[in-house]
Parts: sequence; C-alpha cells; structure tokens
Amino acid sequence: MMKQGIPRLLCLVAGIVMIVQFFIPHPISEKIFSESLRWVRIISAFALVLGVRSITVHHGTRIIRKSSGWGYSLVALVAMVVTAVIGLFGGVDPHATALLPTSIGGFSFHLQVLYANLMVPLGATMFSILAFYMASAAYRSFRARNKEATVLLVAAFIVMIGMVPIGSAIWPKLPDIAQWLLNVPSMAAKRGILFGIALGSVATSLKIILGIERGWLGGGK
Amino acid sequence: MKIGEILGKIDRRIVFGFMAIVVIVPFFFPLNVTGKVAPPSQQLFDAVEEIQPDSKPLLISIDFDPQSMPELYPMLKAILRHAFSRNVRVCMMALWVTGVGLGEAALNEVAPEYGKVHGKDYVYLGWKPGFAAVVLGMGKSIPETFPTDQYGTPLESIPMMRGVKNFRDIPYAISISAGDPGALTLWIPYVQSRFGQKLGTGMTAVSAADAYPYLQSGQLTGLLGGMKGAAEYEHLVAEAGYSEASKPATQAMDSQSMAHLAIILLIVLGNIGFILTKGRK
Amino acid sequence: MMHLSPDLWVWVGALLTLFVFSFLFGDNPFYKFAEHLYVGVSVGYMIAIYYWNFFKPDLIEPLFGRGELILIVPLILGLCYLAIFIQKFSWVVRIPMGFVLGWGSGIAIPAVLQANVIKQIQGSLITSQTLAHWNTFVWSIVVLIGVITTVIYFFFSREQKGSLKVVANIGIIYIMIGFGASFGYTVMARISLLLGRLQFLLRDWLGVIH
Repeated sequence: MMKQGIPRLLCLVAGIVMIVQFFIPHPISEKIFSESLRWVRIISAFALVLGVRSITVHHGTRIIRKSSGWGYSLVALVAMVVTAVIGLFGGVDPHATALLPTSIGGFSFHLQVLYANLMVPLGATMFSILAFYMASAAYRSFRARNKEATVLLVAAFIVMIGMVPIGSAIWPKLPDIAQWLLNVPSMAAKRGILFGIALGSVATSLKIILGIERGWLGGGK
Repeated sequence: MKIGEILGKIDRRIVFGFMAIVVIVPFFFPLNVTGKVAPPSQQLFDAVEEIQPDSKPLLISIDFDPQSMPELYPMLKAILRHAFSRNVRVCMMALWVTGVGLGEAALNEVAPEYGKVHGKDYVYLGWKPGFAAVVLGMGKSIPETFPTDQYGTPLESIPMMRGVKNFRDIPYAISISAGDPGALTLWIPYVQSRFGQKLGTGMTAVSAADAYPYLQSGQLTGLLGGMKGAAEYEHLVAEAGYSEASKPATQAMDSQSMAHLAIILLIVLGNIGFILTKGRK
Repeated sequence: MMHLSPDLWVWVGALLTLFVFSFLFGDNPFYKFAEHLYVGVSVGYMIAIYYWNFFKPDLIEPLFGRGELILIVPLILGLCYLAIFIQKFSWVVRIPMGFVLGWGSGIAIPAVLQANVIKQIQGSLITSQTLAHWNTFVWSIVVLIGVITTVIYFFFSREQKGSLKVVANIGIIYIMIGFGASFGYTVMARISLLLGRLQFLLRDWLGVIH
C-alpha cells in the first residue's frame, strides 16, 4: 500500500498544484511554483546516477565474466573514468587554475579538447553513415504501388529538388512550389496530426496525475 | 524483361559506391549554384537584424549535440557572426548536456573575429538539468536559474547581464534544435505561449516540416531548416557585408544537390524495374 | 595540393571518423572500439558537467555554504533514486519519480492545450486578414479543409463509408503530402550529416579542399 500509495499521492498533489497555479496566479501559488522549479531541477539531476549505474553494471559484469567482447567494455569504462577525472579535477575553464593540470607542454587534454576531438568526431559520424543505408533503402523499397504512395513520392521529389540550390537552376519556380507545399498542404496535415498528438498527450498526463496510468510504478506492490 | 530485373536488384555495394562518388566529386569541382533564400530563413535574419545594438541580448539555446552538428553548427556560427558584426550582445545557454562544448567552441571561434569579450559582449550561461524547469525558471528569473555563467562567474558581476531579469529583457530567442527538448517541445509551449517570447529556431531537416504549423500561426518568427537553412543564413550574412569567413554549409550545397538528384535517380530506377517485372508477372 | 594537418588531435579525430565509417563494410573491431569509446567519453563528460554546472553551484554551495536548508527536501527526494541499489528498498525510487511525473504532467496540460490546440485553431481560422488577398484566402481555405479532413481521418477509427470515406480520402492525400515533405527533408538531413564529416576529412585533415 505504502509502496504505491505515497508515490501516487505525491504525483496527484504535484500535478493538481501545477495545473491550479497556471490558472490562478496568486503570490502564494507563484511562490510554490518558483520553489518547485528549483526542486525539480535538483531531483532530475539525480537521474544521472541511474544512467551511470546502468552503464557501469552492464560493462562491469561483462568484464568480470570475461564474456565475448569484454575488452570493448573495458574501453568504455576506462574512457568514462579518465574523462570524468579530467573534467572533475581539471575543471571546465581552461584559463582557471585547477587541481589537475590539463596540458603537458603544448599538448592539451583539457575537457573541452577531449570533447572537440573525441566526442565530436565520433558522435557526428555515428549518424552520417545512415546516408548510405537510406539511399539503399529508398532505392529498394520506395515504390509507387498505389495512388497514395505516388502522391508521397511526388511530394518528396518536389521538396528534395526544390529545397536545394540546384532546384532553382533546373526551374526557377521549383523552390516556390516546394515552399507552397510545405506552407499549405503539408502544414495542414501536420497541424491535424498535431491536434491528435496534443489531445493524446493531455489525456495521458491526466491519466498519470489521476493514477489511471501506472506503468511508471513498474509493477509490484 | 531482363533490364527490369537488373534495375530492380542493383547490389547494395554499388549503391554505396555511387553515393560516395556523387557526394565527394562536387567538393573538387564545385558548380557554385546559388539557390533562393527561403522566406522563413529571411524572417529569422530580419528578426536578428531588428535587435538593438549594445542593448538587451539575443538569447541562443544549444539544444543539440555532435550527432546533428553538420546541420546545426554552421547555423550557430552564422547567427553569431550576424549578431557580433552588428554589436548585438549574445547570451548563450544549453539544454543538452552533451551540447555544452559546441556552444563553447563556437564562441571561442567567432568572438575573436569581431574582437568580442566575454562578459561585456557575450555570456555563456552553460547548462542546467530539468528542461522545462529551466526555461520556466528563466521566465521568473534568469539570475536565479543561472546564478553563475559556465565558468563560475556570478551573473550579477557580469556587466552585460545587469538589467536582464527574465524573458521580458530578451528581445529575441533562438533555439537551435535537434529534437526533444527543443524548439517545438519546450520553447513553444513553455516559453513562447506562456511568456509571449519572440522566438525563432534553427532545426535539423528531419523535423523542419513539423515546424510549419507554428510558423503559420506566428508562434515562430523565423526557421532555418537543416544545412540548406544554414547555407541560406551564411549567404544573407555575407551579402549584407557582415562576414567574410568561410561558409561550410554553402560549400556543401553542391554535393547536397547532387546527392538528392542521385537518390531520385535510384528511386526512379527501382520503380522502372518494379513496373517492368510487375508487367511480366 | 595536399596540406595534411599538423595537429595530432585532428589525426585522432580523423582516425576515429574512419573507424566509424568502417561499419559500412560490416560490423568490425574498429567500429566496436569507436562505439564504446564514444559511450565512455560521453558519460564521463556528463559526470563532469553535472558536477560543475549543477551539483556544485546549485546544491553544495547554497546548502552547505549559504545554509539554504529548504534544499534538504529535494536533496532527500533526489537521493531516493539511489535506493535502486538496494533491492529491498528499490520501490523508494518511485517517490521522486511520482513527484517529477506529476509535476511534469501538471505543467504540460495547460501548456500543450495553449500552444498546440488553441493557438493552432486560431491559426486555422479565416480572418479579415486572410480575406485581404485572393491567394491568402484560397490557401487558407485549402489549409482549413486539410486540417479538418486529416483530423477526421485520424479520429473516426470505425469503418469509413459514404461521405465519411470521401472526406477521409481527402485527408489521406494531405497526410501523404505531409509525409512526403518530411521524407524529402529527412533525405536532406542524412546527406548533410555525411557531408559534414567529409568536409572534416577533406578540409581539416587532408587539406585537399578549402
């Protein structure tokens, strides 16, 4: 009872108070709202612990059990610890004095340097290879099988040519047509879908507050 | 009939190789085709153009990370160049923790081009956890939400932030956005609607089409869609004489154009193959 | 002419970029190394930023430096997340989750209604402004029809017959145009990401373009 009751009560109270404060701007509700903003920022920051824990446990177990590819897990954990140590003890300001020096001679390994030269190339490239898979998938599966698919295909072609510089070189009116497509029919459809999503999310939010949606409690008593 | 089968079953490696050639060659043999500037990009430029120099700052939020950097980072730099060349002050922040370094890198690169000084001409507030709680907090008080800047300097001791209390003191805000949290999920419902903040956005092309309803309703004033949007902004900034710096997004546009034509060609070939083989079946 | 970068870090970045590209030839040790390095560095980076941007200025300093004791409450709620480490008390995690979820839902309801429903309905209305020019008038009628038929297509999930079917079919055309536009833009996005990396390799590393 307590294990579900307290979280649900807290959820209900927090939800109702936040709805009420929106409609009744009173000094007291404003004060509660301001303080709640600070609280939420603090509480949500602790979610980091969950993320770090799951990564550490996942890779740590693989290393301990020496399961296949455990060496890669070691790479992940070592990279995490080294980066965190450099960041925590070397600081975020390259000009400030820190506990840990972040350069040897002309070679810098400051947190921002690691960010710019490890995280940036890796992160930016991860999704760039999708260009090839997308081209291949579009070639294999994008077929004008019926009226609807043909409309989709034509709209896609107009946007694809009209929105890049070559479009206006092919036919000066193409960019305008692409823009019209985005401004008028596509926009109308997006707005219709937006209504559906908005009303759906309001319904879900209400269900969470009222305790009808309990997926987040994760089962158990 | 055999042609149909061949066209319908080109090997994946050939498709990959074809795409690689199509995107690389234009870098060496540029066509230098200049396209039209889309009206939403012009709107964003005009909104930045309207901000008073040496006055209240333009707010830029880094709502992306390296994974969408090629599309959004050139926008960020072009907008910074526009602002700095007009002596518009810039207040930058980040909602994506993995994007903090991109804001820093852009400021470190662009500010020296115009002799701009941290604290006087621009400030980097950095990042705070809590998404909606951060922007709603800024609506109440920016110094309470960001007591210090990214490097630990108290906001009250930063000259350009004196008199900047909340969104009422921000003439224009731009969310450079790669999804959630970003312009559509956070800035429009929690900032534009609630505080009436004038808002623009630079977005990844994936979600650009979804922004049009907000553009039409006036909730957004200005939109840059993907790398093409970035190229348009680079063009506007250069044309107005604000910058002579290199234009990475513009440089990539020939390859972008060729790649689009190549994909259309592939889809058409696939469909010809489909129609020919379907006729036989 | 080739102007190879003299910067050691650029070479590291280029090598890692090629490691990730190697996935195009199938999964391999180079890609796996790059992938795990990315995860590790990202989480390490987040730990450092969380400390410097949040834990130190927003929790440790106000609570222990300035004695703002009220912060003990959210601190305890936040610490409840750590209960997940102890199986017997793992349910305690639900307490901060309940608060944050309830809070988030509470602020979302009015915000979403205002931004995505009311303002969007206002944008679809035919006003005196839209009547000013013939084309804005015609297009706003086209938009209005599109919005209504799209909504009808999605909301009437029962079998669509007769006039409802005609309306829903018009809705489908609009939706397909919308999806087509999004697809076109998605192609653009994926290509752009590749171009950004090619620019890095060709310009910053090899120096064969400027």
